[in-house]
Amino acid sequence: MATGAFEDEMLALLPRLRRFARSLARDASDADDLCQLAVERALKSREQWQPGTRLDAWMYRIMRNIWIDEARARTRRAQTFAPEEDGMNVGDDGHEAIERNVAISEVDRAMAKLPDEQREVIALVLVEGLAYKEAAEILEIPMGTLTSRLVRGRQALVQMLEAA
Amino acid sequence: MTIDDERLIAYADGEGGEAERAEVERALATDPELRERLETHRRIAARLSGHYGPVAEAPVPDRLAALLKKPDSEVIDFASARITKEQKRRLPGWGSWGAIAASLAVGVMAGQLALPGRGGVVESRQGQLIARGELAKALDVQLASATAGDANVRIGVSFRDQSGQYCRTFEAGGLSGIGCRSAQGWNLPITHSSGEASAQGDYRQAGSGDALVMEAATTMMRGEPLGPESEQKARDNGWR
Repeated sequence: MATGAFEDEMLALLPRLRRFARSLARDASDADDLCQLAVERALKSREQWQPGTRLDAWMYRIMRNIWIDEARARTRRAQTFAPEEDGMNVGDDGHEAIERNVAISEVDRAMAKLPDEQREVIALVLVEGLAYKEAAEILEIPMGTLTSRLVRGRQALVQMLEAA
Repeated sequence: MTIDDERLIAYADGEGGEAERAEVERALATDPELRERLETHRRIAARLSGHYGPVAEAPVPDRLAALLKKPDSEVIDFASARITKEQKRRLPGWGSWGAIAASLAVGVMAGQLALPGRGGVVESRQGQLIARGELAKALDVQLASATAGDANVRIGVSFRDQSGQYCRTFEAGGLSGIGCRSAQGWNLPITHSSGEASAQGDYRQAGSGDALVMEAATTMMRGEPLGPESEQKARDNGWR
């Protein structure tokens, strides 16, 4: 592959990657940090990408893995520092985040309350518009797992966004 | 025949074979409650794509596009400019702040810095560097979230420092730094000059200076950088 083609394809993908990051992360600034980390990791491991296969799927997977690592680290910290947490703020990591969230939209808030495993499925299928099969491959889970997470996630969103 | 949520949602998402879709459609034709549920799921889907969709329409920030436009050696410099929570944890408070400040050209000669054809952007008052002219104006009104690609002054992040005053990172011609809003105006506790005004988008010159400025910002910062909404609110309140 000619030098530069990889970069060009990545550049063309950036708007979609930012959207995916935005639906995973808590806010725009975290999302662009996530996007940056994903691009850096992709550049470092570009030889692992096989030309001819879908770059978007490969990038979604890289970004999702970084996000999951970060989310796990966050959960560990939350458990260490706030064992008494009453469960109302699952997905947040402290007062700072909550204060900052005052101004964010209802959709962001609802997405942030979903368990990570549901949020990533919702992001790939509803936001990115991928077919179930593509999303399942990216997440490396069976179709049945994907559909049950999707259904639970959508039901939870209905509850949160339409109950009021 | 009842259609459960799993089948209904798959239908709404355009999944399932022809036979399955036809069966769901038959049920929809005779069941108003099912139609109602389908509409609900479609509404939620539309709301999500309406909310996140514009992100993919918006211009990609320079710092992301730049990762893919420069030689690899530059990528490393630029990466170090990223503000992450991890970095903040490693650099708590003001401990490493002095070292960073010392490594920057603090005290750029006033008057020496000017944007091409637009006059000086820095002046010295009682030994303090203060932003003036176009830089002061940009710090006053320009939003980081809405900086045009061809703006003379680019605003990076806005944040509150340990004493609670608002600070903003900027880049203007060959000068990058941090402006903090005090009663006198925008003090510039941190400035870094690349020596000559660089062409727009020339990251080779701006690279390491930007990284240092960002690192300084990371240590000065109390809490998180301002998001777009809080930035706009702070601006509308005159950074007080």
